[in-house]
This record gives sequence, structure tokens and C-alpha cells, in this order.
Amino acid sequence: MKKTRKFLAGALLVALGVPAAQASVQDRVFANHFEVITDLPANASEAARFLTQATFGPVQSDINRVMLVGYSEWLDEQFAVPVTLSEPQVELVVTTRTNATPSQGSGPAQRVNRWLWQAAYAPDQVRQRMAYALSQIFVVSDQSTAISNDIIPMAAYQDLLARDAFAVYRNLLKDVTFNPTMGKFLSTFHNQKANCSAPNVCTTLPDENYAREVMQLFSIGLIELDLDGTPMGGILTPTYDQTVITHTAKIFTGFTYSDAPTNPANFGGGGNTLAAQYAPMACWGSELFALSNGNMRHDITGDDGTANSNKTVLDGNTVAPNQSCANDVSDELDIINEHPNVAPFISKQLIQRFVTSNPSPAYVARVATVFEDNGQGVRGDLGDVFKAILLDTEARNPPALASGDTYGKLREPILRLTAMWRAFGAVAPAQDQYHEVSMLGGMSFQSAFGQSPLEAPTVFNFYSPDYEQEGTLADAGKVAPEFEILTEASSYSTANTYYQFTQNAYIGMTSPKTDRPLIDLSSLTVNSGNSAALVATINAKMLYGSMSANMQSRLQSMVDNLAGVTAQEIAWSAIYIAMLSPEYATQR
Amino acid sequence: MSYDRNSRRDFLRKLACVAAGGGTAAMIPQLRMIGNALANTQALTGYRALVCVYLSGGNDGWNMVVPYDTARYNVYAAARSGVYTTGGANPNTGGLGLAQPAAGNSQIITDGNDASSATNQYFLHPSVPELATLYKANHLALAVNVGTLVKPINKTDYNASAANRPPQLFSHSDQEDLWHQANTSTGTTKGWGGMCGDVVGSSNTNQQLSSCISIAGANRFEIGMSTVPYQMSSGGLASLSGVCNPEPCSGISSTSIRDNALKGLLTDTYASDFDSEYARVFQRGRDLANLLSAGLSGIQVPSFPANNSLASQLQMVAKMIKLSKAQGYAQRQIYYVRYGGFDLHAGLMSGNGNHGQLLTQVSQALSAFYTALGTGTNGVNAQNEVTLFTASEFGRTLQSNGSGSDHGWGSVQMVLGGAVNGGKLYSNGGGPITGFPDQSLTATNNFSRGQMIPGIGVEQYAATLAQWLGVTNASDLNTIFPNLAGFGSTNLGFV
Repeated sequence: MKKTRKFLAGALLVALGVPAAQASVQDRVFANHFEVITDLPANASEAARFLTQATFGPVQSDINRVMLVGYSEWLDEQFAVPVTLSEPQVELVVTTRTNATPSQGSGPAQRVNRWLWQAAYAPDQVRQRMAYALSQIFVVSDQSTAISNDIIPMAAYQDLLARDAFAVYRNLLKDVTFNPTMGKFLSTFHNQKANCSAPNVCTTLPDENYAREVMQLFSIGLIELDLDGTPMGGILTPTYDQTVITHTAKIFTGFTYSDAPTNPANFGGGGNTLAAQYAPMACWGSELFALSNGNMRHDITGDDGTANSNKTVLDGNTVAPNQSCANDVSDELDIINEHPNVAPFISKQLIQRFVTSNPSPAYVARVATVFEDNGQGVRGDLGDVFKAILLDTEARNPPALASGDTYGKLREPILRLTAMWRAFGAVAPAQDQYHEVSMLGGMSFQSAFGQSPLEAPTVFNFYSPDYEQEGTLADAGKVAPEFEILTEASSYSTANTYYQFTQNAYIGMTSPKTDRPLIDLSSLTVNSGNSAALVATINAKMLYGSMSANMQSRLQSMVDNLAGVTAQEIAWSAIYIAMLSPEYATQR
Repeated sequence: MSYDRNSRRDFLRKLACVAAGGGTAAMIPQLRMIGNALANTQALTGYRALVCVYLSGGNDGWNMVVPYDTARYNVYAAARSGVYTTGGANPNTGGLGLAQPAAGNSQIITDGNDASSATNQYFLHPSVPELATLYKANHLALAVNVGTLVKPINKTDYNASAANRPPQLFSHSDQEDLWHQANTSTGTTKGWGGMCGDVVGSSNTNQQLSSCISIAGANRFEIGMSTVPYQMSSGGLASLSGVCNPEPCSGISSTSIRDNALKGLLTDTYASDFDSEYARVFQRGRDLANLLSAGLSGIQVPSFPANNSLASQLQMVAKMIKLSKAQGYAQRQIYYVRYGGFDLHAGLMSGNGNHGQLLTQVSQALSAFYTALGTGTNGVNAQNEVTLFTASEFGRTLQSNGSGSDHGWGSVQMVLGGAVNGGKLYSNGGGPITGFPDQSLTATNNFSRGQMIPGIGVEQYAATLAQWLGVTNASDLNTIFPNLAGFGSTNLGFV
């Protein structure tokens, strides 16, 4: 509803003949009165810095647009762009490969190729980037044998995150909970009620996996928090104990495929169509079968093992016995959603993904406040949370760089690649005979980067939000999540991968590659004899104008000394070495 | 805690005054002094290495070793919701129990620490025949009911006060941290391997190569006060594309020009600590590749099983041990490898990636490693100088959830090597809970689903290994293992 206040003001500007922005403040028509745009970037560098945080990398057209309409309006425009989906395209590719003669197998590469295409080219850049951030909180991974072959359902999970990227958190939590790929990954799928001969005399109890991780990782964490994300009252108070887990485990029982046959009943059946493999799971609770029916798989009992007691869950809240599965799950997710930890726990992790590893408590509190209520009584509006993160003064106005600086973050290796592609207008290869656009160049980012979409080692993601890198950062008491995947070995494998996407992937090369995007070196080759101009282009395109004088000097010397090699080699050398530089490896 | 963050920061602040404004690079020699301050031993001679095999996800150790005598076996089978069966009139696909093997089965082992034939028979999981062979040859020992503990406790102590319990029991990430630390503090990032490295690493001839080497990336275990692990991949040392390998190149070329630019960028001083740290890791990788690449590429070791990531990692460990000995780089080393997939809430007994499949990989990898350390063709010739041990964040519930087991506490770990007093179970830590645990779900040594209260603390297990490595000074041990003095035994004697 409230989204109606957001509309394409830029189109109106043109229609009404309002002149383009001449200064940092501009008038435009807004709902029968003039609104003053107060958040225009001061220059292209600031716009590019914002886009580095909010997208898979700045491109000139987005820089121009942000400079025209300001940050907030540009985000509203992005929120309104229709979602770019993975599943239809991945399904087309996989089925075409399967039906080919001879039949072609498929694997994670088919899904990841599509993901990379979207990262590089999808018009809903902010949504896709948010979906990627959410995929690092609401983790599923094809590294688990439970879902390693579920290529198409995993693409659908990616779409779920993209669709819900700016929805309310409670809705996202519901969709994730009922998703069968999550169900298989954290074993709610086919999780069943306790098998008991008498109340609480049981040979099996429900699987505790999802009950634990939905609280530890997807919502509240292990320690009671204040609004600013610090331990409540400075004391480490656990949010729940094992008893809560055992009780909560009963909630998440009875799930199976939506098309599992009910007459005759076959709880282990279903999944007969692709759509059924990613449709929300059905729950064989009392909504499907009478309580006494042997096919009722949902646990309706309470703490004493009978239907006469409540389930006592988080913070002493209770869920009534004898309920349908849908009501049990709804009650439980409401209880989790209302916990005061959710706002700071989720907000802080999102800030870490987009802006800085160590947000000030005040910054976390400002974002968490919006999470709790967006000003219109809505809790967990992720679009407004995203805006609060990106428009906050701590995001937009970094402290002046001085020795010992710990603002910002290490860039994710995959984002260093996508930003380079977008900076240098990488052109994807044509679809192959199976309708696939190859982006990976036959490489595995999971092994090279320690990071690849929906391929984390475990539900704990590629890195912990609390990871401390030994040395000056840990000594300063700062966390540095992305450093958990930076090692001596991954420095090399990451660099070698970038080499394959620069030296071995540019327009005009001999025998051009057809399995990866080719970058356009022309913005650099035009200045191959002018090192200052060439490095200035690198600075603007890759480092939003933040390159230190020292780094400029290093690169200029390299370019000068390379005189005599081809203009293309000078160009890719500059990009490649810049990609390995500390200043590009980080963002501020 | 004498080594919490604040005291270290104070120490660093004092050092910074001495260093008179030097940058990070200038600090490195002083940082090493912290290790020397901890080390209070004579220079260590010869060669010894510890190899930590971390089984990620919580290995269900109670199905690695099972009581064989009928009385205890029946208790085990009942606790595990019955024996897992798929056929017959009454299949029990929710059961997690292993079938009792027939007399004479090669997986049946005898506990050399127990003279009573009524209670000293056990059997190992049917998927680990290689480990049964190693056990019977007295190269493999089993540490039974090891887990995170603040101090030795029973259930009454557990219930009496939260202070008697480790923080965040049953949480993967937290319990893994405590295992890596070998203490139950929430205020540290240091691991016991790294702190042992602080002590013993100063004996190493080559100080450029860290005493701690990881084949599995970042890990808390190998972080010391001054020790930072060198992190390799199981694939060995790659060349870095487009620049010099090793540095410097001979002559001037576009390759050398790029190399010069990169070297400059990675060794420059940065205002941002994120920039500095990235540069430091990358440049350390370059320096060590320059040191090790040529030698490592010439190292041959006996074959390891294919398609087994743990075996691939241990093969690289074997190569690095052989190289380190051949080049005289090190007198003491600590390695870290990792193998995942053990969080088997579902599919413990069947399906792709089930427990038996994982244990098969473990058994074959460990056996190949022990063989590679021998004196056969291309052998490392270090069987008595290398001790391998397992760790895992927790054991699992004995009781089934219908398809698998949930998060538990105490579990069984393995110790392998020529120096190991093998062929025995080690289950007495001197605390109130001793012996192979009673597996009845109503027993007082566990909670209602068979989450075992440990009888041996991680400190005791780790301190035993640390002493073998050469950390023998009491003050060093008490610094690394601050709770150790509260346990009955500080050396379990398995090595």
C-alpha cells in the first residue's frame, strides 16, 4: 500500500519539461507540491561509491540516473523494477540439455551461470544484490548432499529471495520455512511427530535442526541484544536453551511435497513435477487428516507429551496443542518475528554485507528502529530497511581516511569480479544450443574464491559475521567477516581466476573465448600512451575516484614501463593488477 | 585469564612505544617475542608434528565404537531407537543402531585398558576396517566421552549452576570454537594449537614458515598469540598468473613489470587496516610460495585414495612434513585439515552422504596417511614423529529423530600414530563421570535423548597431545589451558 507513494518521478520531470538538475538541490513535482531533493550525490564518484555498495557494480547509466534523481528516488525506482527470475531460464537449460541427443547432464554450473548473468546484467540490480545478501543469512547450499542435485529448485529458492527481497521480514521467514529446498537442507522435509508408546515415552522425537537454526541464524541469534546490536545490558544472556529447542522441534513436523498423495496416503511420495519440487511444502497436520488418523504426521502435543499441554517455546511463549500445522507454524513464526533481537540481528548483518563490517551501535540502532516500525506501523519492511542502511549518514559520509582506519570492508571476491565486468562493459557470449549463456569460463568459484552463490560449506555461510582476523584488526577489536575466506591459497586462486576474466577474456583477442564474458578495453586502449589518463579511467570505473596517489603512481609506472607491448596488454594488465590491489579488494 | 584481549593490547601498546612508530612490518619481530615470552623450554630437537583432523558438523561417535557384550549392546540398541533395518516383517528405518556383529568379526576390538573380558569388548563401525586394523596394531587409540567442560561435573553440578556449564552447548559454531580453544572462554580468539606453536615454534630453524599450517583455510585452532597459520590448499602451490614465479623474474619483461607493480602495491603502507591486512596475507602467500614451490613440486609420497577430500588434504600434509624434514625447516609443526558433512539430522544410516560413507572416507584417508608416513617407497619415514587426532564440535543424541541424530555433547575421538599407546580406550579423566558411559537414556550421566555429559574435558585431551609435542613447562600448559588445573588428570597417557 505505502509503495504507492513511490512513482517514477523522472518520467514526470520530462513530461512537464522541468529542466535537468543544475545544482545539488533540485525541485520536482511530487504529489501536488514541490519536493526538494536533498540527497543528490555531490559528484559522479559519490554516485559510483553508492552503487558499489548497493549493486553488483556501478555503470555509467546508473551513475547518471542517481545524479539526476538522488539516492532515495533511485532506490524507489529500483524497487519498482520487475524481478528478474532464475528458475524459468535454468529449467529451460536443464530440460533442453536432458532432452538433447546425446543427453547432457547438468550441475550447479547451470544455475550459477544464470546467477552470474543476472548479477552482471539484470535491471533489478538492487533487488538481486539484496537477494544475494539474504542468501548469506537464509543459507541453503548445494554442498549438502541432500540438495546437491536440486538445480532447478535451488534456482527457485534464489527467486524466492529476490521476490521477497523488499517484502516484510515475516513473509520472507514464512516462505523460507515452507520452501522444500530449505526443508531438505535443514531436514524439516519429512520431519515427523514423536513416536511414543505413552506420553513422553518415545523411541523417536522430532528433528531439532530447523528449530535451532531458524532462531540461531535466521532471526534472533544466541545472545539477547539491545536495539543497537550489542549484548543486552553488556551481559551475554542466552536467548533460549535446549528445552526450548526440543519443544519448538514439534512445530516443524509433518512437511512433505505439496503433491504427496493423500488418498491413498503416501507421505514419502510427491515431487512428481518440477513445480512441485519447489512449491511450498504441504504439512500433513490436522488440516489434512483427523487427529486420530495414522497419516497425521504433525506433532500436536505439548510439553507433557499429550494434547492437554501447550508447547512452551521462545521466552516462555506458548503455542496451543491440537492445532493444525499451519496454525502452529504461524504462531511460532509470529513469536520469533516479535522477538526484540530480530531487528538488530538482521539489520547489522545486512549493514555488514553492503556498507561496513563494523557499524557503530548507533547506526545499527537507527536501521533497527526502521526495522521495528517503518513509520507506518509495518514491522520488518525490508525495502525501508535497505534504504535506511544505504541512506544513513554512516553509509554516505565515511570518516576521513587516516592511519588505523577500520571503516568499510573487504569486498567479496565474487563482487570484485562482477564490478569489473560492469565497469568494462563485459559482453556475454550468445546462448549455446541449450539456451545457456556461459559465464563461468569452466571455473568453479566455490573452490577458487571460497564463495559461490548458494554454495556455502554449511548453513553458517562462507564466513561468520563475527569472524575476527588476527592482527591489527582483531587487536582493534574489529570483526572482518570476508577475511575468513581470504588465505594465502585463495589469494592465488582468486587472482588466477581474475586473470582468466581479463587477460583471457577481452573483445578483440585472438580466438575469443565463448564460455565467458568479454570485457571492452576501448576506454583504456584509447589512452595506452597516456598513463595518467588511463589510470584515471581505472580510478573512476573501479575505485569510484578513491585511488590513492601512491597507487596511481604505481599503476602509471607500470603502464609507462609497458610501452612497447600491445595496447590491449597494457589495458588488461592495468585492470588485472588493479583487481589484485588492496584498494580494490576493499571498499570504504 | 592472563591472555585475554586487553592484556594483549596492553602488551602491544608497550611494544608500539618501543617500536617508535614503526608500521606493521616493523612490529613483526617484536610480535614474535610474545611467543618467546611464552616459551620457557629448551630448544627442541628432532621432529614432531600434530595433525588435527576436524570432523565438521558433529560426528556421531557413539556409532564409531559400540559395546559388544550383550548387556551393554542391548542398552545401546534401545537408546538408538533400535537397530536400523530396511527389510523383513518389521523394518526399522528410524533406528540408528548398528547390528551386533557375529563373534570373530574383524571389527570387534578389545580395550587394552580393561582386563575384564566381560566389559572389554567393543566393535567399530563396519565402514572402518582400516581403523580396526590400526587399532589392533596398537597404532590407534580411542578417547571416550570427550567434550567441552568448564570443570569436571556430573548432572547435579550441571543443574546447580549455569556457571558449571560451557556456554552455548549444542550450537555448532560456539562448540567448535571451544574445541579449537580447549577452554570455555567467550572472550578469546586464540586456539590451543596456535598457542602451542607460540611455545614450540621458536625452535624451528626457518622462522618464515609458520609452525602452524592449515590445508583447510581459516581456523581458530591454529591462532596463537604470535602464531598465524600458513594456509595452503590440498592442490599444493599454484603459480600466480601474469607475474613472476618465483620472484624475481630474470630480465625485464611485461611479466616482470606487472610483478613489480603488484609487489609494490602489496608491500606499501595503507591507512586502512583492511587494505593492510589484505596485502599482508597476499604478500605472505607470495613469500612462502617463493620459498616452498620448487621443493614441494619435487616431493613424492605414496598414493592416497582418489575422490576423497580428506585424503587429498592429508596427502598435502604428508608432502609438507617430508619437505620440512628434508629442508630442515622445522622441528615442530601443527597441521589442520577438515572434513564435513557430519551434521546428519537426516539420513544418518542411509542415503547419499550417510555416516557410513563418511567414515569410509575417514578410515581410508587415515590409513593411507599412516602408510605414507612409513618407510615404503616414497615414504615420509616419520610414523613415530607424527600424531594425528580427531576433533568435532559435539557428539549426537543417541535417540533417533526418525532419520538421524540431533546435537549432543561428549563423544569419541581417535588418536593415530607410531607414538600412540594404541589398542586401548581412554575414558578416565579423573572426574565424577568415568569409563565408557552408561548409554541408558535414563542414566544420570546424560540427558533424556542421550546427550552425554563428558567425562574428559577437551583441555585434558589437548594437553596430552601438547605435552607430547613439547609443551611440558607447567606454566606454559596452564597458560594455554587455563582450566586444566581443575581437572583430575592433566595427561591421559594415550601418547
